[in-house]
Amino acid sequence: MLPLRLEEPSRPSFIARLNESAKAKVLALQEYFTLAWKALRFIFSRPFYTQDLVQQMDEIGVKSLGIVLLTGLFTGMVLALQSSVQLKTFGATIYIGRLVAASMIRELGPVLAGLMVAGRVGSGIAAQLGSMRVTEQIDALNTLGTDPIKKLVTPRVLAALIMLPILTVINDLVGIIGGNVIAKFVVDIPSSLYWRTVWEQIAADGFIFRYIPNDFIQGLSKPLVFGGIISITACYFGLATTGGTEGVGQSTTRTVVTSSILILVIDYFLTQLLLSVLAV
Amino acid sequence: MSEIEYRGAPTHVDEEAPPSRRETDRRSSAVRKAIRKELASDEPEVREGREDGDAARPVIELSNVDLAFDMPILQNVSFTAREGETIAVVGESGTGKSTILKLILRLLVPDRGTVCIDDQDITELSFEEALKVRQKMGMVFQGAALFDSMTVFENVAYPLREHTDLKEDEIEERVREKLEFVDLDADRVMEQMPAELSGGMRKRVGIARGMANNPELMLYDEPTSGLDPLTTGTITRLIKKLQMELGTTSVVVPHDMRSAFRMATKVALLHDKSICFFGDPEEMIASDDPYIREFVGG
Repeated sequence: MLPLRLEEPSRPSFIARLNESAKAKVLALQEYFTLAWKALRFIFSRPFYTQDLVQQMDEIGVKSLGIVLLTGLFTGMVLALQSSVQLKTFGATIYIGRLVAASMIRELGPVLAGLMVAGRVGSGIAAQLGSMRVTEQIDALNTLGTDPIKKLVTPRVLAALIMLPILTVINDLVGIIGGNVIAKFVVDIPSSLYWRTVWEQIAADGFIFRYIPNDFIQGLSKPLVFGGIISITACYFGLATTGGTEGVGQSTTRTVVTSSILILVIDYFLTQLLLSVLAV
Repeated sequence: MSEIEYRGAPTHVDEEAPPSRRETDRRSSAVRKAIRKELASDEPEVREGREDGDAARPVIELSNVDLAFDMPILQNVSFTAREGETIAVVGESGTGKSTILKLILRLLVPDRGTVCIDDQDITELSFEEALKVRQKMGMVFQGAALFDSMTVFENVAYPLREHTDLKEDEIEERVREKLEFVDLDADRVMEQMPAELSGGMRKRVGIARGMANNPELMLYDEPTSGLDPLTTGTITRLIKKLQMELGTTSVVVPHDMRSAFRMATKVALLHDKSICFFGDPEEMIASDDPYIREFVGG
């Protein structure tokens, strides 16, 4: 008798819970996209918080320069080193430049810059907005007649959209220079040859509008998307923070995990899309 | 309802345990005496506010407001605040006092009923329209909620920069005036960051920011919580000064009954999701209702 009684009410409650959590997930998704839509729409409407934008560009872009330079340099170097070992077996070490350039510009540059910024900036944004939420500063903005999305989210999203492509270009460039260093000093390939192969690679995939290499389109549309993902995810989790300081910690973790996964997953689909559009 | 602002708008819940009944009874008579005395000293001013109160136009009108999150919080709540009045909303912890403030600010929208500010129903407003209505109001948060990335000056100047065309020197003048109104040394605190201030000073800056725009309506959420008795007295006097000198209509969620009686011209007692008493402080003290007696005593 007893086990039956226990089992019966638990079954509908499990389904109910499943239902509840599914509904909550859908609602969260809807809120995420609403936030994204509003943040983007407010870019074009008054008042413009220019000062906040400049401050965020400094925070997201300039202050991330150090880690981006470092990761770019070492990634380029290790790429050159590893590919030299592989290419040596075919006697094709002169193609190091091609390999480094293709990997950096198309994939590693955007993805690594994205992951670094997600860790450094995404967590910072989530922590700041989360603390503002739990100390009622978001409510205070609302009561002072300011839309928090306009004041806080839009400048961050716009700053990320502008700065991430720039960081990626720097990352690519430093990575290719790192490859150059290894090619010259370890593999003994002259710089002029290295840079010629780099250019060959860029030119090999064709041009769009005659002068813009397809590789650049791939390499620059990705960071634009990643910048949006990082900033909107961070703002979303930051603004949705509940439960005091512990909640701030959770939002920060969620931001880094979610945006990193999103970057890697969306990178795949974006690559597939771009490859088919650019028809390489 | 999908706007992010509605998420996790938490109603404030105090963790303090209510005092036991016997203790309450014991304290009750002494406290009543003290409150009567205090009221007597404040009487002329309070009366003045009340006498023309009934004739004055209503500024806030809540009628038959219902609100539920996971469970019902408010049911059939109605009250009116007229121009120049100070309403103290009192009640046990977690009965939805702060929620009422959030309804007036339209940070929350009731499930049923209407909230009118200056005869305008704000429940139907769009988000952008609500932002405009909020400019009529100044809110002082429990933890002051100063923007911690800005200096004291920038905090107080914020509503002016957002909503007025004042020039920089006019803004500075206004900020100084407001800081001096709340008894702060403007030269000393203006360039400080909120984190460098004491709790009482932060509250005062919060009040200065709330009143910077000369709002016709001030809302205070536990303005004296976490402060020592002396600072509590200062803040209470300050709120009263605002009401007396500028005739601002106010709604206060006070931290204790003592300051409630000192500030308020009307008291609204929240019990069991609705308002069980609404009237003058004297009426409340004189009441025979056992719950009210217990509450006043506690």
